Formats: sequence, C-alpha cells, structure tokens
Amino acid sequence: MANWVPLWLHRLGSPPVFYRFAGAVRPWALGLALVLGAVALYAGLFVAPADYQQGDAYRIIFIHVPSAWMSLFIYGAMAVAAFVGLVWRIKIAEVVAMESAPVGAAFTLITLVTGSLWGKPMWGTWWTWDARLTSELVLLFIYLGIVGLYHSFEDRRQGARAACFLVLVGAVNVPIVHFSVNWWNTLHQGSTVRLVGPSHIEASMLWPLLTMMVATKLYYIASLFARVRADLIASEGGKAWVRDLLVREGGAA
Amino acid sequence: MDFLGIPRNNRRMPASAEPPILLEARALSFSRQDEPVFGPVDFALRAGEIALVEGDNGSGKTTLLRVLTGMLRAGEGEVLLDGLRFSLDTMAGAVVFLGHHLGLKFDLSARENLRVSAGLYGLRADADADAALADTGLAGFEDEPVRRLSAGQKKRAALARLLILPARVWLLDEPYANLDRDGIALVNRLLDDHANRGGAALVTSHGAVSFAGGEPRRIRLHA
Amino acid sequence: MTPGSTPAACAALLRRDLTLAWRRRGDIAMPVLYALIVATLFPFALGPEPQLLARIAGGVVFVTVLLAVLLSLDQLFRADIDDGSMEQLMLAPQPLALLVGMKILAHWITSALPLIVVAPLLAGMLKLPAAALPALVMALGIATPLLSLLGAVLVALTAGSRRSGMLLALMLLPLCVPVVIFAAGAVAAAQEGLPWIAPIAWLGAGLVMAVVLAPLACAAALRIAMDT
Repeated sequence: MANWVPLWLHRLGSPPVFYRFAGAVRPWALGLALVLGAVALYAGLFVAPADYQQGDAYRIIFIHVPSAWMSLFIYGAMAVAAFVGLVWRIKIAEVVAMESAPVGAAFTLITLVTGSLWGKPMWGTWWTWDARLTSELVLLFIYLGIVGLYHSFEDRRQGARAACFLVLVGAVNVPIVHFSVNWWNTLHQGSTVRLVGPSHIEASMLWPLLTMMVATKLYYIASLFARVRADLIASEGGKAWVRDLLVREGGAA
Repeated sequence: MDFLGIPRNNRRMPASAEPPILLEARALSFSRQDEPVFGPVDFALRAGEIALVEGDNGSGKTTLLRVLTGMLRAGEGEVLLDGLRFSLDTMAGAVVFLGHHLGLKFDLSARENLRVSAGLYGLRADADADAALADTGLAGFEDEPVRRLSAGQKKRAALARLLILPARVWLLDEPYANLDRDGIALVNRLLDDHANRGGAALVTSHGAVSFAGGEPRRIRLHA
Repeated sequence: MTPGSTPAACAALLRRDLTLAWRRRGDIAMPVLYALIVATLFPFALGPEPQLLARIAGGVVFVTVLLAVLLSLDQLFRADIDDGSMEQLMLAPQPLALLVGMKILAHWITSALPLIVVAPLLAGMLKLPAAALPALVMALGIATPLLSLLGAVLVALTAGSRRSGMLLALMLLPLCVPVVIFAAGAVAAAQEGLPWIAPIAWLGAGLVMAVVLAPLACAAALRIAMDT
C-alpha cells in the first residue's frame, strides 16, 4: 500500500489535527445526513406502497431498521477504536470510542421505542420478550455501563481506558447474549411472529431503507465529530493549541 | 532463588572498578492529564548506593517512585533495571516498594504478614522472619495482630519485610514518617546494611537525614 | 515448596485470604443471610400456593444467589487497594493474573460456596420438586464461579473509580444474562422431566473460557485501575 495512508492516519492521531479535520468534515456530513434523511423519510412515508399484510404500520421500519443497524454498527466502530486506543495508547482513538457510546445508546433507545411502537399494532402489546428486542435491551445496558464507567473516574484518561476495556469485554459478550437469548426464546415458546425479513422486500421499499441507512451513518459521523471536538477542548484545555484557538476565534468574533 | 545479584565475595573487586548500575532513569518525566508532574530526571543508582529524592510537597516524589516500580507508565524517557528496559512482568521481584500504605493486613499478625510476603517474593538467603522482627524492635509482638500495633510499630513491621525479601533495589516512600528517633536510626541502619550487601535504595523524605556512611546522593525534584 | 516459586506464591495468597475471611467469619454469613431474607420475601409477596412457588423456585434461587454474589463482589479488591497490598501483589515476581485468580478462588470459597450449601434449603422453602435438586446444585456449582470470574473483571475495572455499587450492577447485568438463562433453563428442564445436560454443558464451556480469560482480563483491568 502507498505509505501516505498510515502517514495520514498517524497525523490524524494528533488532537489539533483531528480537531480541524473533524471541524471541516462535520458540516458536510450533517448537511448530507439531513438531506438524505428527508428524502428517505418522504419516500418511505409517501412513495413506498403499503404492505399487503401490515398496512401503513410497517412504515416505522424506515426508522426502526436503520437504527437497529446503527446500534450494532456503532458498537463495532467503538470496539475497533477502543482496541486501537488500548493497544497503541492513542488518545484520539480512546476519545472516539468514548464519544461513540452515547450516540450508540441513543440509536439503541430509538430502536427499542420504535420496536415497541411497532409491536402494539403487530403483536397487540407494547413489549414482548422477543429475542431481538431482548438482545437490543441488553445492548442498551452495555452502552449505559460504558458511559457510566467513563464518567465515574476523576481522571478522564483513566476512565477512558477502563471503559475502552469494558467495550472489548462487551464485544465478546454481545454475540453470547444473542445466542443465549435465542436459545431461551425457543425454550420458552414466546412470540413466534416473524417480521418481514429485509431480504424479500419490494424494491420501492428497499431504496428508502438503504438511503436512510446512509443518512444515519453520516449523522453518526457528524454527531461523533462534534462530541469529539467538545471532548478534546475540555481535556486539552491547558494546551497551547487550544489557547491559540480561543484567541483566534475570540478575535474573529 | 537468590536475587541478591551481588553476593558478598563479588564485592571484593578492584577498587578502580565501579559497582554496576542497578537502576537507571534516562530523561524520565511524567505528566498527569497533560500537566507535567516531574522531570525530566536523569540518574543512575549503582550497587551499594543510597540516594535521597528531595523536593517540596507536590514535586512528584511519590509519583517518581511509582513510575520506577512500573505501576505508573512514564510519560517520556525510560527506566532501566540492570541495563534493560523493564516492565511489571519482567522485573522478577528485583524491586521492593514501601509506600504510604504499608501493604500489611491488619487482621494478620506481623509474622503472618511476613510469611505471605516471603511466599510471594521469595526469602532472602539466610533471612529469617523472627530475626527480622527482632531486628526492627518487634520482639514479643510477633503474634500480635497488626491492628493492635502502634503506627510506629506498624511501620517497623513493614520495614522487617524489607529485611527478608531478596530484592536488590528498595524504593522507600517517606520511610521516616511515624517513627521516633530510634526508628529513624533504625531505618538508617537498615539502609546502610542494605548498601553494604550490594543493594541500592531510593528514599524520599522532606526532612533532613544523615546516614552512617556519610552524605547520601541527592536527587532534587522541582515543583 | 520454595518460597517465591509460583506454587508457593499462590498457596501463600490463598491461605492469606482464607485466613482473613476466617478471622471475620461473621461476614461470611452475610450473603447467606441476605439470600435467605430475599427468598423468604417471595411467598409473602406472591402468596403461599405450592404450584406457583414451585414454578418460580428455580429462577428465584438463581436471582437471589446472583444478587448475594454481587453484594459480596464489591469488596473483592477494595481492601487490598486501600491498604497497599495490591501494590505488593503487582510487584511480586509472579504473573498477576495467577495471583488474581487465587483471590477469585478464595472469594468463591468464602462467599459462593456457603450459598450453594444453603440453596437446597431455599429451594425446599419454595417447594422446588426434589427431582430438580441435582440440576439446581450442579447449575449453581458451575454458574457461581462463572459469576465470580466475570464479576471480578468488572470490579477490577471500577476499582479506580469514585463510586461503584450501582454501576457494578449495571455493568454485570449484560454479562450475567447468559449465565442466568442457562442455569435457570437447566433447572426448568429438570422440573419438566426433560434432559437438562445441554444447558449445563454450555455453562461448563463458558466456565472453561472464563477460567482462562477472566484472570488475564482482571490483571489488565487492575493495572489500569492502579495507574493513577
């Protein structure tokens, strides 16, 4: 591989460089996320045909499914960042992992709420101990534990390292939870309602879904970068580059 | 297992040959949340040498010792033990640390505490727990739970542990605290014996200290 | 055993922790008492019908034991960190993971083993059929060391933090969901006269993995906790 890639990544590991990079990327990611999200919502709510079984109620999948994907995707991204941060002791990676957690928790919560809203017309109940919903609930607890651990330390850096470690423990745990909950679900013969799998889905329903997926990813990037910038300003407050920045921005205002 | 790497007969080297360097710090510095705590510090501690780390409160004396144990990761620079970079996994009991917390179990007697330490670190050749306790003035208190000992006696029990372990490098954080005049003399005698055996020690203190062997090396930390 | 050799170090540490626990043997009774109280409350809350109690007995015993273990876990490393013993353990010329493993073993012997001993009593109070007892004891025998090992990793992670009690419960829940599912599943299967070895085997597989990995993870977490 051309060696400018590792070189560029190495440069990005420096807080001021990452701060500027995140500041440059964020407005574009946010703008694109909003536009794509609006398009996907419009297409999903008005253009896509009603489902022959579920009527209009199914339209919640345009929020529910991308959120569910993001709840897992962000965990994956967070685990990679946590691993990089712990092994190579790169501060930016630790911050990225830690600031991913609240975003992931938010998507998990959206998944749970929309899932339960969808459950009411479909299953006739707000909550059912369905294997996927239960796994998602456990995932929410994992996210909350990570956020809680990060904020329970006096020393931010130490808190980040401990919480990054918990991210990796959780990464091992998530598949085990999913497997055990599946086993438990079949054992107890709970709800057997199977939802429409995304594999046999109408194309006019699929493209809004995929558009929304891209929009949520861009939103994650925008939200993450804003959080990382705030975290960096707070934790590097005493450093020269932050002081320079304040002087410059203060002068511009 | 004998970690006293410099047995007695080895010390009768030609006077010109300098004793080997046991512990060395090169441009060692440490920052906490990007605030520098100490450093950069350079020093080399040779076998038979006692060095005093001086500095005001907050100058990072305790932090320096914890970095030297490997429990804290140094920000910059390196620490070498016997000329090799080391970590918690590789130093193999060559270093013993006595900190503000003495590491004694208060529900166990002094003798039981020493037995646990010997189990973990190994016993120095010709060392004996009861003799060490007698040496530090705890004869008759061997079976008393540490909880019932006075603050000074607890300190002495912790010092007795130094006497039975095979570690060559002692890192003592404020060993004179809580000790009376006799106790201070005891610490100095123990350090002197340790140096004569070919060991080395790094001692922090903010009080004036006099060793039997004359002026100690001084390492000054600035706040 | 030569002093300072690894077996001697493990034996010394195990003996130390067991002696300490014995000198404060009143504390050993606390988790047992706690489990007894919680299990007693269920019939008061749900009514004394034997069928209902028998239906929930297995699950209640597991949740009760889990909470009792959780309560005792908080103290696992606290005393050693506060009195400086943890520093001595970290500097000892032994693999920290092995020493931590010994501490977990001592903790399991002093806090979980008494719970396993009284578990049949709790199950009897809750009218669990005698046929399900072997499954219960066996599931507890595998599930409690697994909980101690997983909990120890989390306790080590919170060791350097300001508060830990509720946080520990929040962090432990996702880890113990599979343990509870399989352990209670085995008892439920035994109660219905179905084969119950499969969930026990899964628990056993988890225990083998945890015995190998948890002490290593615990040692790494403690190094982070002591890095202040």
